[in-house]
Amino acid sequence: MKKLQISIRVNGEDQDLLVAPNRTLTEILREDLGLTGTKQGCGEGECGSCMVLLDGAPVNSCLVLAVQVDGHEVTTIEGVADGNELHPVQQAFVDQGAVQCGFCTPGMVLSAKALLEKKKRPTAHEIRSALSGNLCRCTGYQKIVEAVQSAARNMNRAGR
Amino acid sequence: MLLPKFDFDRPTSITEVCEILDEYGNSAQLLAGGTDVLVNLKRKRIAPERVVGIHRVSELGGLSTDRNEIRVGSLMTATEISENRTIARQIPFLGRAAAGLGSPPIRNRATIGGNLVTARPAADLIPPLMVLDAAVSLTSKNGTREIPVTRFVTGPGTTKIKDDEVLTHVIIPRNEAGTGGAYIKFGARHSCEISIVSVAAFVSLTPAGRRIASAKIALGAVAPKVMRCAHAEEALAGQYPGDKAFAIAGKAAARAARPISDFRGSAKYRRQMVDVLTRRALSAACKAARDDIAGRTK
Amino acid sequence: MPKKFAVLGTRAPKLDAPDKVTGRAKYTEDLNLPGQLYGAILQSPHAHALITRIDVSRARRLRGVKAVITAKEVGLTKYGVSPARYDETLFAHEKVRYVGDEIAAVAAVDLATALEALELIQIDYEELPAVLDVEAALRSGAPQLHADYPNNIGAEVHQEFGDYEAALGECDYVRTDRLLSKRQDAAFIEPHACIAEFDNTGHLTLHTSTQTPHYVQRTVAMVTGVPVGKVRVIKPHVGGGFGPKAEATPLEMSACFLSMKTGCPVKMAYTREQVFLHSRARHQFYHEMTTGVKKDGTIHALHHRAVLDGGAYSSFGIATVYYAGSLLGGPYKLPNMKYDGMRVYTNKPACGAQRGHGGVAARACFEQQLDIIAAEIGIDPVDLRLKNIMQAGDVTCNELDMSSLGMRECIEAVRDGSGWDKKKGKLPKGKGIGMACGFFVSGAAYPIYRSDTYHSTVIIRVAEDGGSVTAFTGSADIGQGSDTMVAMIVAEALGIPLSDVRVASGDTDYSMDLGAYSSRQTLMTGHAAKEAAEDVKQQVLAVVSEELGVPVERLDVKSGRVKVRGKKPDIEAVRMRYIKEHRGWDDMPKGNELTFREAARLATLAKGSIVGNGKYKPPRLGGKHKGAAVGTSPAYGCSAQIVEVSVDLETGQVTVDAMTDAHDCGQIVNRTSVEGQMQGSLSMGLGEALLEEVKFDDEGRIVNASLGEYKIPTSLDMPRVKSIIIESNEPNGPFGAKEVGEGAIMPTIPAILNAVADATGVRMHELPLTAERVYTAMNEAKKKGR
Repeated sequence: MKKLQISIRVNGEDQDLLVAPNRTLTEILREDLGLTGTKQGCGEGECGSCMVLLDGAPVNSCLVLAVQVDGHEVTTIEGVADGNELHPVQQAFVDQGAVQCGFCTPGMVLSAKALLEKKKRPTAHEIRSALSGNLCRCTGYQKIVEAVQSAARNMNRAGR
Repeated sequence: MLLPKFDFDRPTSITEVCEILDEYGNSAQLLAGGTDVLVNLKRKRIAPERVVGIHRVSELGGLSTDRNEIRVGSLMTATEISENRTIARQIPFLGRAAAGLGSPPIRNRATIGGNLVTARPAADLIPPLMVLDAAVSLTSKNGTREIPVTRFVTGPGTTKIKDDEVLTHVIIPRNEAGTGGAYIKFGARHSCEISIVSVAAFVSLTPAGRRIASAKIALGAVAPKVMRCAHAEEALAGQYPGDKAFAIAGKAAARAARPISDFRGSAKYRRQMVDVLTRRALSAACKAARDDIAGRTK
Repeated sequence: MPKKFAVLGTRAPKLDAPDKVTGRAKYTEDLNLPGQLYGAILQSPHAHALITRIDVSRARRLRGVKAVITAKEVGLTKYGVSPARYDETLFAHEKVRYVGDEIAAVAAVDLATALEALELIQIDYEELPAVLDVEAALRSGAPQLHADYPNNIGAEVHQEFGDYEAALGECDYVRTDRLLSKRQDAAFIEPHACIAEFDNTGHLTLHTSTQTPHYVQRTVAMVTGVPVGKVRVIKPHVGGGFGPKAEATPLEMSACFLSMKTGCPVKMAYTREQVFLHSRARHQFYHEMTTGVKKDGTIHALHHRAVLDGGAYSSFGIATVYYAGSLLGGPYKLPNMKYDGMRVYTNKPACGAQRGHGGVAARACFEQQLDIIAAEIGIDPVDLRLKNIMQAGDVTCNELDMSSLGMRECIEAVRDGSGWDKKKGKLPKGKGIGMACGFFVSGAAYPIYRSDTYHSTVIIRVAEDGGSVTAFTGSADIGQGSDTMVAMIVAEALGIPLSDVRVASGDTDYSMDLGAYSSRQTLMTGHAAKEAAEDVKQQVLAVVSEELGVPVERLDVKSGRVKVRGKKPDIEAVRMRYIKEHRGWDDMPKGNELTFREAARLATLAKGSIVGNGKYKPPRLGGKHKGAAVGTSPAYGCSAQIVEVSVDLETGQVTVDAMTDAHDCGQIVNRTSVEGQMQGSLSMGLGEALLEEVKFDDEGRIVNASLGEYKIPTSLDMPRVKSIIIESNEPNGPFGAKEVGEGAIMPTIPAILNAVADATGVRMHELPLTAERVYTAMNEAKKKGR
């Protein structure tokens, strides 16, 4: 099995890697780049805990081959905050109690961030719809939805 | 879950894809969005020697239209289809079907080509494409051919595509005024679902909207492949678009369905739901057609 | 009105939330140890078979394989959850009892090699007939799973309180109802994972995704032979537990043995499919209840028969079958209760404890039955509950003491909060409203193994400069927020700001704690934390008293300051001493009161380490009858819910439109966390009511072992929930606090059942309420002319 040279921009940094074609993006991020914020809950694209933003769009990284994202941009949960300053979505998750066990949290934050970049004032239904590929067993989703609403308000106020 | 070993190609043109397929035939597996192929690889359902990533073949992307048809590139994702303005204007129910496929992250990767070639009985894009009389365009080193979607799918997971062919685009004929469609997906949850039953309906009304000129019905998840319902469609031709006609069509569609009992639902219940959902889909399609006549959509 | 508490009752953000939202929080699979190997387990493909030959030689020879272990290498020490039912060995010895039963494990340089090695292990099986349901298992002549348990009956319970037969004669109205629920899965999003490291001094360290480091430590020690004192279990962040992670797993024990054999750390995890195969989750329950009431609605007698399908091993099952019965003793007055319960072995993965344990399905059956009775005798269901509820101080017929019980307040809150009076009986066909109640223990009164041990201990160490304290606790934060609870209780009891409290938890080296199960930690770990904090305060103030010449009774700590009742002493000398020690620092203490920081520093200078100790165990509780222990608790949380549904009358699809939920947690520690537990419980209850069922084929293989086909609610399946918290001030709880983690799930399924009946006019007696099941029931009712 021939390894391939790829170049991915991960959280703003170019990564040049020599990878076997049968490595998923989840594996590369977690094992090769040490970015363990991306989780693996099922490996089959059914839970959303492996979610990353691929060119800004939420995808299940467990169903993406690393070699498919050569030349593309990937944002993981580690790329959301600005240094130690939390993104408004992250801050809202903390403030609104949207985090219990936290395993779905990275995926939820990324889904929410992508949504708010597309829609400044999403309705509750639109929020639930955007998050409908991220399973959560702890919260019942309510405080997550409230956090996204709160983040949207804060971001609109701050003119982001 | 680990992936098996394979070599990987990254062609950038249709020609290149065809060359690879010509050389490797059935030991090569095309890979677009990966939402089905990667699952099949992880579950050891397939074990190709080579995986051919076609995501760089820009000729396979995008949507173009002319007076006669809409051509949808096979790499167009479910999200792109659900957000495309041309589709929203001309055939919004296809966009809505795409919007209900899987879940948002799946939609961002799943392609129309993949949905067609994977040909699951419960595939979400096939029923709307069937009632739109869409066709697929297949290209190999030896040339190009077009097959109507109704003939393209041959069984659960099988199609007429040959080992050396790639599905390049889907052709959807333009529709006249007075047409409308609907797609109903019925599952247990409101996201992340493989349908228990799905129904697509497309009707064409007479110019004043008083009669059904023609109707097309496709059923998903109730047969080895997505199926059209000739009897139900015939029963609707010339009828007044109302509950009476829908009820007759619903019963005919239920009779025509060939569901099995599996862990998602029993055959009996699926048949009963074909009746209910066909009526509802026809009602919604007729409403869309009437709105079309009233000029509200175009 | 002055606030009752400085810290409790607030919405303090959870301590671990910032790490979790940034991806910094480490779960077990995120950890790596240098030189680690990867392990994998070989599992039986057959539901029931003899093993006639195991040959691992080819696997051992595969390049990269460092160890292969079977029963031959690890021995046959029996283990389980309850010592009364140690009925499993790590690896199958002569027979396998379910598809997934563990036979061998491999450690190799990478996972791919380990998996390849599994394929090279040769096993000869002689298939046996399997029993895949309770009827088959109980049939005479059925294949027996365990020699010690004839007729495949793993546990049988027969209890009677009062005199059922006599009481029945005193009833005006009697009816019998049934409910069949299904095997379910906890479906936590993080699969089990662990890393075991056996070092070269004979110490075993196990990092694992567990709810109960203490029980895992003990089981691992017992099975591996490593002394308990040399086994350390560390729980990193855990992505949900809900019950199945409250016992030692074959994954953990395999990793330990492999590390012992190889001398290397061994990392192992379950795939999602293996999580389903391991299970230890919700049993399947069949309940039959005959209830007698007086004509005014007074509940008088109950005969409850339950049959549990428990799978191939006991796990928590003996507690489960007892809980199924005992948790109907409340929250209504019920003077006569007879219970006959049975847990049956079948050739399927073992079932264990899952949120609400054995009480959930039984509560569903009973609360639906009460609704039916209410309708038949012409009383509003809410009024029927209000008429029968116990009061604080009442004791159930099976000797469970309701030391606090805000049941009335919960019922009235949901009645008013949902608009029940405006809706009940006034909704159009296809829309329905239903209510139910429930309650649950705040920790089991007895540990799982017979012992007088304390259930929780907490050690608080004061930082030398006095600026902060760290609470060390073996308790397990699995997402519910127990670390934050400990910090808040410590801050409250000690009188210092929450930001000055750190918590180190989930490590058996820190303190002994039974862990997160039975909703025990707020009450029990909370008590120990409170006591430890008070101990610290007392030690510090003793030194301050001596130094300032003020009697200690006049001293207290509040808001991080030493408060003096009466004549204020001169604190200059103490302050100067502190400032002199901190030349170069900016933030020197000011004001005319000594800060806790200065006081604690003073105490450290006087005494060396200031360490506070706290401990808790419940008093002797409950009756003397067999199984009395199960259900006893120092306190009971209780809950009422009203649910509104729409039912598509043509398809049977049920949609939950609104949920109003009231829970009595005694005293709120963290308001946001209490709401979070309520809302999460409701979502699991909704899933179990409408969507969830583990399904098997006729070879005993799970057919829906994935999160796509085992359906937990998505964000589009959950409605908005109105959460109302009731505080009844539990005398046995720290600051009045008691549970919320499991009591809140109890009313959900029956509230939905009652709402669906209201919407359709049809009663459902089997879960889950899939569209097909509801549709079929409506059709049958139509045919019968109802």
